[in-house]
Amino acid sequence: MTAVRHQAAQATAAQPAAPQRTQGPWRAMLRNLRRSPRVMVGGGILAILVVCALLAPHLAPHDPNHQDLLAQLLPPAWSAEGKAEHPLGTDNLGRDTLSRLIYGARVALVVAITASLGAMVLGTTLALLAGYFGGWVDWLVSRAVELWLSFPPVVLSLILIVGFGIGLGNVILAIILVDWTRFCRVIRSEVLIVRRQDYVDAARLAGFSHFRTLWREVLPAVAPLVLTLLSLEMGIAVIVEAILSFVGMSVESTVPAWGVMIADGRRDMFQAVWGMILPIGAIIVTVLGFNLLGDGLRRALDPKLRQRVIQ
Amino acid sequence: MSGGIFGVIARRIIVAFPIVVLASILVFVVLRLIPADPVAMSVPPNATRDEVEAMRRALGLHLPIHEQYWIWLSKILTGTLGNSITFAQPVHRLIGQSLPATIELVVLAAFFATIIGLAGGLLMHRLQGTAGEQAADLGSTLIMSVPEFLWAIFFILLFGVALQWFPFSGRLDPGISVPRETGFLLIDCLIAARPGVFLNALEHMLLPALALAFGTAPLLMRVLRSSLMEVAQEDYVTMARLRGLSERQILVRHAFKNAFLPTLTLMGVQFSFLFGGTLLVEVIYGYPGIGNMMVEAVRNADLPIIQGVALVYAVAVLVINLGVDVLVLLLNPKLRVAR
Repeated sequence: MTAVRHQAAQATAAQPAAPQRTQGPWRAMLRNLRRSPRVMVGGGILAILVVCALLAPHLAPHDPNHQDLLAQLLPPAWSAEGKAEHPLGTDNLGRDTLSRLIYGARVALVVAITASLGAMVLGTTLALLAGYFGGWVDWLVSRAVELWLSFPPVVLSLILIVGFGIGLGNVILAIILVDWTRFCRVIRSEVLIVRRQDYVDAARLAGFSHFRTLWREVLPAVAPLVLTLLSLEMGIAVIVEAILSFVGMSVESTVPAWGVMIADGRRDMFQAVWGMILPIGAIIVTVLGFNLLGDGLRRALDPKLRQRVIQ
Repeated sequence: MSGGIFGVIARRIIVAFPIVVLASILVFVVLRLIPADPVAMSVPPNATRDEVEAMRRALGLHLPIHEQYWIWLSKILTGTLGNSITFAQPVHRLIGQSLPATIELVVLAAFFATIIGLAGGLLMHRLQGTAGEQAADLGSTLIMSVPEFLWAIFFILLFGVALQWFPFSGRLDPGISVPRETGFLLIDCLIAARPGVFLNALEHMLLPALALAFGTAPLLMRVLRSSLMEVAQEDYVTMARLRGLSERQILVRHAFKNAFLPTLTLMGVQFSFLFGGTLLVEVIYGYPGIGNMMVEAVRNADLPIIQGVALVYAVAVLVINLGVDVLVLLLNPKLRVAR
């Protein structure tokens, strides 16, 4: 049954799959997730990153800020001039690239997780209120989304960071305040559909308060969509942090971050190309991990959602 | 239908006006939170307390925030944006000098993005049900994971440094110049009848425009593919098949036209993101547009420039969205009747 559904989902995404979702939807979803190579590969990449971030002091061969001025701009160990003590080479101050990459995973993951959770909570809450209550609440939220979307996201986050000042907490706050609209727009239109379902009316008739109806009936219905968006948002947060640290507007200069490494490497790109390629690779692999996971979740949880999530 | 398209445009402009005003308030208020002192960065390090205070007064920064905003708003309404702190020049003139460069880049990038997006979408549609489908799917996920600023760096490393096919800095080779007429370099080259310089300018724009396009195209690809998939279920496609049309004819005559509309709608959002992408891409290519100017101003805490450029971005996004909406309206007869 599940296998059939899975294949059907791949062949024709546009066909309604709702009637088959009668028995134990969550268990079926979980089974789908385990069979999805996307979820497995994406999850695997992210698991490795989490290990790197958590165990950074044990995994990194050197202090990420230790300057070895006798070993500047070393290539990775596998090339002729490389040294075994710096497996991936060093930057222009003789800092160990591998150690900086491993520590950089910390900033990336902290931002990815906290900023996207924050954006999710803010965006989803406003979407639930707007979609469920309608009226002036909906009007207000929709106008706010419109106002926010009149700026390219990168421009808005840069303005916010200028206003707040640099630092990890402020970067996270800026990303939350920019990207809540990504959740709000999509989930609001989903709530508008869910609100008209009979079981929502039934809950109200059974004496549920508005809050309880939202929490127990509406939220679970949009949860798969929220989860998918969350995963994609984590990738976006990693990119935004890298952009901000590339222009020197993210974390303090003593904190190793991948965007900073790219900016540093850019100055010496003619002599030492690895200093740029490695952090770029780290960012791409991380974002790919989140996107694969999000893509897999989208397919496994509900093929019907595909269209809406993209837009 | 009286007024038609123009009525719609007029209505949209009226709606856009309060959004621009609110956007300007948002930017202004956020920037007044700034922890760094913009005055301290613009006076010499040995300035006395009185000199700093005099500077603060000259810039109007001693006034309460709403008065500062009114002054700025009244300047906007007269067409100026105040003076830059670092350059001591009117902001609107600085923007006027760099904006054409950015517009040129965005137009070229949007052109590339459309071509790549449509070609990719059609290719993925073609691969449907073949062994290549999974590969194309994974490929598009991979391409989608690379933001435009990483494409920009990657293209510099590959085509600039390693292969040395294209230049990757500025708008023209050093030593070449064209008299400035419109500010749009490509147009100026044509006015001056200098085809060699035209090609040189185009070469300089190629890599940044491609980087922007690669950041935008994958999503267009996906949406086109999934709308083609949806359209394939429609009765008129079955009908066409029954009438004996080949798959290619069905695609060209029926499916593509209908599947293109959702893609076009998405382009509005995507091209405004693309406009934002110029920020980093211009910095990376040393391209003298407003994005480069903005990042420079951010580093110098030059508030008048940041505010001015932010406002230009907001207006640009609204204009792009309006343009796309009008196009959708022109191309979709259903919507025309509905209004």
